[in-house]
Amino acid sequence: MKRRAIRILRSSLSRRRREYGRLVAWSLVQAAPAALSGWIVARAVDHGFLAGRPATGFLWLGALAGAFLVGAWGTRHAMLGLASLIEPFRDELVTLVTTGTLHRSARLGEPADTAGVARLTEHVERARDAYGAVVLFVQGFLVTAVGVCVGLAGLDPVLLALVVPPVLLGLALFAAALRAMAARQRDVILADERIAETTSALTGGLRDVVACGAEDRVRAETGAQVDAAARAAVSLARLTAVRTAALGISGWVPLLLILVSAPWLVRSGVTAGTILGAVTYVSQALQPALQSFVQGLGSSGLWLLVTVGRMAEIAAEPEEPEATEHKATETTKATETTETTETIEAPEATEAKAADADSGIADSGIADSGTADSALDATRGPMPVRPGGARVEARGLTFGYAQSAEPVIRDLDLVLWPGEHLAVVGPSGAGKSTLAALIAGVLEPQAGEVRLDDVPVLALPDGDELARHRVLIPQEAYVFAGTLRENLTYLAPGATQSDVAAAVRAVGAAPLVERLGGYLAPLDPRDLSAGERQLIALARALLPAPRLTLLDEATCHLDPAAEAVAEAAFARRPGTLIVVAHRISSAARADRILVMDGTRVGLGTHEELLAGSALYRDLVGHWGAANGSPAPVGSMPRTGGVRDAVRAL
Amino acid sequence: MSLGAADRLLLASARRGGVWLGLTVVTSLLLTGAGLALPAVMGRALDAVLSGGDTARWITFTGLLIFVLVAVDAVDDLVGQIAEARSTAWLRHTLLGHVLALGTRATRTFTPGDLVSRLVGNSARTGNSASGLVWVVMGLVPPVGAIVALALIDYWLCLTFLAGMPLVVLLVRAFLRDISDANEGYFRVQGTIAARLVDALGGIRTITAARTVDREARRVLAPLPELRRHGLGAWDAIARISARGDLVVPLLVVAVLAVAGLGLAQGRITPGDMLAASEYVVMAAGIGGVLSSLNQLAQARTTAGRIAEVMAEPPAAYGHERLAEGPGRLEFRHVTVQGTDGPVLQDLSLIVPGGALVAVVGRSGAGKSLLAALAGRLADPDEGEVLLDGVPLRRLGREELRQAVAYGFERPVLLGETFADAIGFGTPTPSAEDVVAQAGAARADAFIRHMPAGYASRVTGTPISGGEAQRVGLARAFLQAGRVLVLDDVAASLDTVTEHHISQVLTGALADRTRIVVTHRASTAARADLVVWLADGGVRGRGTHRALWADPRYRATFQPFSLPAADTAGGAR
Repeated sequence: MKRRAIRILRSSLSRRRREYGRLVAWSLVQAAPAALSGWIVARAVDHGFLAGRPATGFLWLGALAGAFLVGAWGTRHAMLGLASLIEPFRDELVTLVTTGTLHRSARLGEPADTAGVARLTEHVERARDAYGAVVLFVQGFLVTAVGVCVGLAGLDPVLLALVVPPVLLGLALFAAALRAMAARQRDVILADERIAETTSALTGGLRDVVACGAEDRVRAETGAQVDAAARAAVSLARLTAVRTAALGISGWVPLLLILVSAPWLVRSGVTAGTILGAVTYVSQALQPALQSFVQGLGSSGLWLLVTVGRMAEIAAEPEEPEATEHKATETTKATETTETTETIEAPEATEAKAADADSGIADSGIADSGTADSALDATRGPMPVRPGGARVEARGLTFGYAQSAEPVIRDLDLVLWPGEHLAVVGPSGAGKSTLAALIAGVLEPQAGEVRLDDVPVLALPDGDELARHRVLIPQEAYVFAGTLRENLTYLAPGATQSDVAAAVRAVGAAPLVERLGGYLAPLDPRDLSAGERQLIALARALLPAPRLTLLDEATCHLDPAAEAVAEAAFARRPGTLIVVAHRISSAARADRILVMDGTRVGLGTHEELLAGSALYRDLVGHWGAANGSPAPVGSMPRTGGVRDAVRAL
Repeated sequence: MSLGAADRLLLASARRGGVWLGLTVVTSLLLTGAGLALPAVMGRALDAVLSGGDTARWITFTGLLIFVLVAVDAVDDLVGQIAEARSTAWLRHTLLGHVLALGTRATRTFTPGDLVSRLVGNSARTGNSASGLVWVVMGLVPPVGAIVALALIDYWLCLTFLAGMPLVVLLVRAFLRDISDANEGYFRVQGTIAARLVDALGGIRTITAARTVDREARRVLAPLPELRRHGLGAWDAIARISARGDLVVPLLVVAVLAVAGLGLAQGRITPGDMLAASEYVVMAAGIGGVLSSLNQLAQARTTAGRIAEVMAEPPAAYGHERLAEGPGRLEFRHVTVQGTDGPVLQDLSLIVPGGALVAVVGRSGAGKSLLAALAGRLADPDEGEVLLDGVPLRRLGREELRQAVAYGFERPVLLGETFADAIGFGTPTPSAEDVVAQAGAARADAFIRHMPAGYASRVTGTPISGGEAQRVGLARAFLQAGRVLVLDDVAASLDTVTEHHISQVLTGALADRTRIVVTHRASTAARADLVVWLADGGVRGRGTHRALWADPRYRATFQPFSLPAADTAGGAR
């Protein structure tokens, strides 16, 4: 973490050498009064006030005031120079965090926690401030130290021998403590984060804690972490004390040495003004610069390392996605050679495999035989083949969210005719969305593969072309700040206005467009209801005219009538359609239905499933009951009646 | 929240610093004293050197004072931070204990994220400022002392400083104003970027599917140049202010030096006095620092107020009564629970026979989960009473109640380090065999065994599906099960076969308990001894599933797919 943070900081600095040079130049101007102050005070006292010529003294002090004016001018420009270093650094951090969070969420397939996003903004600002403080104080200290040394040498070189050694001694002590301090500071931050983690688990699960009567236990465990954080803070405090002592040694001991040697200095001809000047140098230039330096490096510097390291961690993008792509291309090459044998698969082979799958299902004890052997067999019955649709073929698809966890989908086979309309139904958590993502190639299966017209779905081209092959619209419609047209043509940037208008009409979004004030009106996603967002996403999906469209509960916020209109728009057009159904009425509109129940699946037409799938009966039975056909659980409704009722909805 | 409570909390937390806080007072006194005396003593030492006085004495004094400064400063740092750590820890312990005592009430008033920020951030800030109280007072001493010291050396010096001081005050005020102006635009743009990022994260599945992550990153970052412009604007203000800061205090020093120089020329003051004066001006100019200390104190009061706000909520009170032997008969007597808009349950009376399997059904929002929560005091009724085997629940001792009533949830939060821990979470001393047995009953045993470390796998490091979490939560409930077991839609993410197995456990091994099962599935309701049908804040029907099924409105509650109300589907007309 630390190493990566240092790399980010260093590369940011090295890319802006010129800006850094300017900062150095102006901070030299800024340090001019520090370098001159003691010397001028010495002159003013020796040649002016003590020599009985107060006017000369005033002149010298006037010169000092002038030096301060010049110094302030330098300060202003040095700060601006600092800004030109820091603002780009902030930009880099924001970019790092944004792309990192997006890529990570894309990999996870779900948003990284949004509370974390808020913390990130805070971290970026903290890092920006800390970076500014570190550059400013380190720079300021170096320039001041050099200025003071030159000034002291100008007064009397002997003074250097009194000032430099204790300063170096203090700095050495500080440097020795710094490394341990960094470690302990990190302990403090980590202890606090652990408390934050535990307490957020605790506050999120208060109901469970209370229901389990585990208040005392949780209190003891979290309390132990609170105590650990306190111990870490105390352990850091011990080193902070060392740091303060180091600061005291380098700031105060030079003054003491000057005074102790004063009798000897005076005897060897050093004037009162020179001693006054030396004291001025130490107490008014060196001490403040030292204090900023030590505190800046001791707190801001550590914060900087820790926060930038944290951001680097978030942004850390292992070469995983590239590897996936690479593998996908390899698969394409491999399949190109075997393509001929794959495409003309013998129906016997298909059925044999289906029988295997069937027996597997029978073993696991579900009464779904009869539907299962249709899992592969798309040839039976008159299936509509719409032109322009993709043949979808999934073989041995297996996927689990962790290697060790139970697979959500196990060894699933599925073939869809070009232009077929499939509905996927099942209880929540059955893996419907996972299946949609696997078929769309958004997720990579642990075993098996999905092909669109015999091209592995993972090998589909990137960019705008992708959407002409397949489009997946999830439940959460993405509408971004921009014009409505930009949102609609998201997947088809070159779409003509008439195409856009046609798509909008088709999904029934025309009134919405009117309400929003036309296609070029700027859009604030927060002004739209969930249903309105879904309409925009649906129109968007129509525009690239994909060969395969997957709607993953993409109409769940529409009312049933609006949903029927939108789904009809997809069913009318050429292209294969897979709808993860939110309502059973969606299933009624499909050519075939896939029922998912844990890792068990059943595939068939409505009638076949009613005969063969207990779960489907359960689902439709309830629904049918709700619409007036009395059907207690267990007894099967007459298929015709249900089908009609389904159509009527 | 009255500030009185906040102030009391702040003082109470400061007192927790204990002896360390006392030490802070001592060290701060020593430091202030030494710091104030040092310039004068150094001046005397210089004069002694120049005019042949008692050099050794004054230089020894100087050495002593510097030693005190260096050593005591380090000690002060140490004791101050120890006191702060103790105050913070005390605040956190106190708040944590109170949040736990509040139980589910806490999350009704405060969001979990808000509670975390109060427990972590606010407590630290309050704790850190508590011992800083000492320095708010002590911080006043050096500047005021320095002004007095200037007057003692020569009243002209003091007058010069006082004439220049308004400049310093103006500077501090300008600082606050300029920055806030410049920062407003900056924070606005920053908010825009954050909002775009949150939007994009919400739509991440669309983005992933379209493989447009990089395009979206560019869109989120589009306002960056504007952010930089505002940032540079803020820097411009900072640069001006820093330049002024680098000017005002030094010019004050120069002015005082000039007046001191005149005094030196006239023989009114010595070179040593001049040295002391130049040190005192800087010290006196530090008066601006008092303002920032006060500002910090104000912030600490605000954060203390936020903690006091939680502490002001009355905790759930438990009684001390115990239950006699009983079948687990639950009685709801005229129960009313208010929601944000009107009562969720109104004047509900219901008897759940001991040992029965009772299904609670109804549309979403009908108050099913609330009824389940009332059964074990996860919620308290606003009016009315819930009795278990004749004893009002709120008169029961906490442990007695928890041993009697166990819960399983639709979305359980799994607490505890390992899976074995998570299952045994609510049980005082669960045996390993019991844990495994109940995991088996809840059909969680197989997938837990498949994990790399089995039951010792860490819960946080092992991603599991919603259905798997439900089964672990169920195992936890089975293990705890006392005379009443409340299952709040625990089978929502389970396949029909698993659900069937679990039903068998409910009607088999656990058949002697009172089982209250909130469900959406007709098959579950069909297996229950009694179905309680909730609608419109009360019990719409009560009886067997078969008897109730005749009512079409009853059947309508078993909508397997959710039907959003038409008015939420905007734009769909």
